[in-house]
Amino acid sequence: MVTDRSQIWSQTVIDDIHSKSEVGRYRIRGFNTFQKVTHFDDLTFLSTGLTRFPLEGYKESCNTRTIIGDRSAEKPLILDTPVYITGMSYGALSANAKIALGKAATLTGTASCTGDGGMLPAERNASKKLIYQVLPSRYGFNPHHIAQAQAVEIVVGQGAKPGTGGLLMGVKVLDEIAEMRDLPKGIDQRSPARHPDWLGPDDLAVKIEQLREVTDYQIPIHVKLGACRVKDDVKLAAKAGADAIVVDSMMAGTGASAEVLLDHSGIPTVPAIVMAREALRELGLYGQVSLIASGGIRSGADAAKALALGADAVAIGISALIALNCNRDIPGSNFLEEVGVPAGECHHCHTGRCPVGITTQDPDLMKRLDPDEGAERVANFINSMTMEMALLTRSLGKGDVHSLEPEDLAALTIEASAMAGVPLVGTNRVF
Amino acid sequence: MVTLDASNFTTRELNRRVREAIRDDPDQHITIINPRARHNLAVAINNHSRVVIKGSVGYFAASQMDGPEVEIEGNAGWALAENMMDGKVVVSGDAGASVAATIRGGEVYVGGNAGARAGISMKGGQLIVRGNTGFMTGFMMQKGRIIVCGDVGDAAGDSMYEGEIYVSGEVGSLGSDAKIELVTEDELAAVWSALELHGINERRSFKKIVSEKKLYHYDTLERFEKAVI
Repeated sequence: MVTDRSQIWSQTVIDDIHSKSEVGRYRIRGFNTFQKVTHFDDLTFLSTGLTRFPLEGYKESCNTRTIIGDRSAEKPLILDTPVYITGMSYGALSANAKIALGKAATLTGTASCTGDGGMLPAERNASKKLIYQVLPSRYGFNPHHIAQAQAVEIVVGQGAKPGTGGLLMGVKVLDEIAEMRDLPKGIDQRSPARHPDWLGPDDLAVKIEQLREVTDYQIPIHVKLGACRVKDDVKLAAKAGADAIVVDSMMAGTGASAEVLLDHSGIPTVPAIVMAREALRELGLYGQVSLIASGGIRSGADAAKALALGADAVAIGISALIALNCNRDIPGSNFLEEVGVPAGECHHCHTGRCPVGITTQDPDLMKRLDPDEGAERVANFINSMTMEMALLTRSLGKGDVHSLEPEDLAALTIEASAMAGVPLVGTNRVF
Repeated sequence: MVTLDASNFTTRELNRRVREAIRDDPDQHITIINPRARHNLAVAINNHSRVVIKGSVGYFAASQMDGPEVEIEGNAGWALAENMMDGKVVVSGDAGASVAATIRGGEVYVGGNAGARAGISMKGGQLIVRGNTGFMTGFMMQKGRIIVCGDVGDAAGDSMYEGEIYVSGEVGSLGSDAKIELVTEDELAAVWSALELHGINERRSFKKIVSEKKLYHYDTLERFEKAVI
């Protein structure tokens, strides 16, 4: 039946054109893509029956210990769970949020990561295992800080806006942030997309050697890619010497991005993992180079499916922020008044007016986030994810989350079958 | 005084020996011979030692260091002195692309010409080039001072935030959001004085490239943004 309104010129499209016709530029927002794409909900685990036997789901031990980057580093990153907290800058996030995430990582025996803006000393103190990012902007980059890190992550791209640098609106580039980044106060910071000192994969190999010299060959060097031409990019990163490769999908979050990039670039997490796994396998490096997936990881089920497809670990961003109270009506907040939308619909991180004190530099708003309480909530969430992963793993008859494999999965849709390379339910066929 | 023959060591072993030598004596003088344009020499040195490299070096020489003086008697590859915090790097010959990339302090002096993106994303410090520099000199420069005694290529000062690029010769073209400003007498005296320290005593004229600051902000906000920001 024909509906009573246009399918092409929906209210959303009309609003979009009205907005652009007023401001004369691309639109900017935070959060993640609003595209509906194939995701982990389109996959299901094939738990045990008569062909194999489960472990006791609630009690038997299940290993979640995760080692990242033991290809060549003297001290690989050893985590108690395959879930860690991804890079989010001090600037995009408040100091209280960064401290809370660092503390949560320490409470759960996992790692947190710096972001585009340098290392906040309080985050270093809070997080026992800190991954130090090397980004194109090099804002706040300091060789003395990298020497304190437990891993280094060279950021080639991020999934939310691959091929583009960071974005931080002037409302957040305040005194300390501007000083740390060596930027004029209050500017709308648009970070570079290309690294200043190297360009192609041959250069990257030399850059990796340089960072090994700086860190005395002790800690792993990760390379983070925005998931696009995953197979080629992963091969080039692995050949350049990366100990670990992060594939960050189009579903990944951001504090600010041009909306057109959020919604119209990159590929989803499921095919990104599969393509990365196959790339490493073709090089004979699968199992040697650690594979980390990120982008839209919401639960232990998502994480377990990521591991089954071939990841060694997952990195979480938005889900950790939600655990911190993102989009929650907390006492003292007034979402409608402060960001113009109700809790649950906010994606206005770029405005710096976060009603729950996470993506803001306003001292009064920041007070709404207590770092210790926030750390406890994030730690609880990570522990829940780890327990969910273990529960699913035992239900599959396995005692180690790293034993999960594609054969444990089936697809609920033809698209998911094609992307994940696992059979469609009710068939033996991979589409 | 320590002399290390690079041909006897891997890069890792050579740098380890450099670091060991300066750990025992922070004022140590080290000479490296036969570098053969190898990459990543004299990386991450963090005290006030002096290192002389007799020959050309590859990428990232004297990078990510804080304090020492490094002299290279030859040419240098890409990213010489990258992200130096403090110290001094002198190369007698030419430097490749991205010389002094992201330095936050100290001084880099190039006796010959420098390649593209000289002084890219500098966050402080000073870069002096006796000859010419390539395209995008001072690209996205944030702070600090670049002095080029010769010509600069196209797109000079593209997207720079702050800092100054002084050019004695021709400017190929200006990059986005860059403009040429008159040099004040005090600024010219400061440039001459910086050059004199490298034996350049000629009182030549300079033009100054700075940010036009038109790209500092987006011009407009959406209606809801205006309401909440």
